[in-house]
Amino acid sequence: MKLDRRRFLASSGGVAATAGMTAEWAWPKHSVSYRRPRSAVAVLNADEYSEKIEALLLNGLQLFRLRVLGRSVLLKPNLVEDLPGPVNTNSALIGAAARCFLRLGAARIVIGEGPGHQRDTELVVQTAGLRPHLSERQIEFVDLNRDELRKVKLKANYSGLGELWLPRSVLDVDFVVSMPKVKTHHWAGVTLSLKNMFGIVPGMKYGWPKNPLHWSGIHESILDICATVPIHFVIADAITAMEGNGPLQGNARQLGKIVLADDPVAADATCARLMGFDPLRVRHLSAGCHFLGNLREDRIRMLAEGVGAPTRPFSVLPEFCYLLAAKS
Amino acid sequence: MEATCLACLALGTAADGNAVSTVRFLKKSQLSDGGWPAFQGDSEGAWTTALALCALTALNEISDASDKALRWLLGSRGKEGHWLWRWKFKTVDRNVRFDPDKFGWPWISGSASWVIPTAFSIIAIKQFTACNRSEASEKRIHLGVDMLLDRACIDGGWNSGNSVVYGVPLRAHIEATAIALLALQDERRSELIQRSLEWLKKEAARVDSASSLAWCILSLFVYQESIEALKNRLVTIIGDGRDIRNNATLATVLLALKCGEMIHPFVVLR
Repeated sequence: MKLDRRRFLASSGGVAATAGMTAEWAWPKHSVSYRRPRSAVAVLNADEYSEKIEALLLNGLQLFRLRVLGRSVLLKPNLVEDLPGPVNTNSALIGAAARCFLRLGAARIVIGEGPGHQRDTELVVQTAGLRPHLSERQIEFVDLNRDELRKVKLKANYSGLGELWLPRSVLDVDFVVSMPKVKTHHWAGVTLSLKNMFGIVPGMKYGWPKNPLHWSGIHESILDICATVPIHFVIADAITAMEGNGPLQGNARQLGKIVLADDPVAADATCARLMGFDPLRVRHLSAGCHFLGNLREDRIRMLAEGVGAPTRPFSVLPEFCYLLAAKS
Repeated sequence: MEATCLACLALGTAADGNAVSTVRFLKKSQLSDGGWPAFQGDSEGAWTTALALCALTALNEISDASDKALRWLLGSRGKEGHWLWRWKFKTVDRNVRFDPDKFGWPWISGSASWVIPTAFSIIAIKQFTACNRSEASEKRIHLGVDMLLDRACIDGGWNSGNSVVYGVPLRAHIEATAIALLALQDERRSELIQRSLEWLKKEAARVDSASSLAWCILSLFVYQESIEALKNRLVTIIGDGRDIRNNATLATVLLALKCGEMIHPFVVLR
């Protein structure tokens, strides 16, 4: 068989993933495990951001047995920059999610974000069109870059950071919902529900961007953060996603999906499959599936439709061609 | 700490008791190495050291605390300033276009140079050494200025730290541009600075966020641009101020609204 560059990179990725899995089994770097025997995912069809989303989302959420009655819920969208295009989680979906959780009995909704580059969070909130959705009394927005902080010992040690200062609004909440925008990412390969949690790390301490996390390893930092602040539910915005040079400068890619899951690894693995990627080749997923959730399809129960392969995989920078799933 | 320093600059010596208690607070919060943490309770020096030095200078509090802060700033550098990382960024890691020989200041130690901490550090050192320049301080200022000029966006202005990633130009940020221009106010008015100023003027005319608009006003004022219309718009945006959720923004707005009525807190007289 001729070994071209793509095959070589794909094989190398596979070898590296296998080696990583072996090391992880022998010397675990995490002190917690959120993995259950089976996880549930629902992929909903939604062609556009419209008023219909709320009813669709409520129906989707009711497929899960969510325990939010009387509890405080943190919605963590992906609000990155005041840029046009599919950069941020769409505000119609964020607003719909907030109202749905209230209808399911949540006592309080906190929409929390600490944008990574843009220090003026209000500018990002305005540009994302989120302001009109914050008018209800029980829905508040918290700038996680400037919240009150507590020092927390990390429950995994992939990055070597050991501890992080984290916002009180995140640590005190009962139920964490990660709401990523489904995008490619020029450093991490993909940015989905797990990578989205970078946004809880406060800029006030770690800067804009949160550069110490990059120096400590993006995948490693993702694993440590998500071990410490577990994600209880995922609502991923894959209606209009981003491909190519994401997370800021890529191109819009219409997928027409909303992915719901009670497990962030299952959510991200499903999103990766929708993008035409092999989730095992995403480093934080191949390591995270040992303790953060389920990656394998036989451990994921699909509540709505199944995951069809995309007509064509998401385009990626040449450095990330190894993510592409082998053609069956 | 950011909010305290900006509030201190906004209130100035208007209320004497306030200034005294602020100086006492700043001195008490200074770390033994001369830096200030990002917030009380943290034990690591951060970019807020530059703001604290600006505040002490503005309050005419020239003391050992200020000298120690200057030494801390002169010793602090972005991680790419280390020869090993410089070599890496010059040879194998070329996805971000920048000259690693030109480094500034990080947000916290152990990370790379970024525009805003570099700009504030330049302002703090320029202000504090206005009457007692040294070779070390001039050299560090020069290097920081070079870093800012190197990282400017192609169309003018500054993003958070880089201008081109994976061959694609980044778009400038208002706040980073305004603060970088404050740091460059006494430098030769190059075509790049002029282009950045034009970009900022254009953005200032349409931005609706209080913090960004306030920084525009503070920056455009030192370049002798008209700010009255911008101040009026800022007043309209903030209304009764109840929507301003953090004290750093509140203080910046106050500084912008008092612009022209008090000594500009970030003016550099050299």
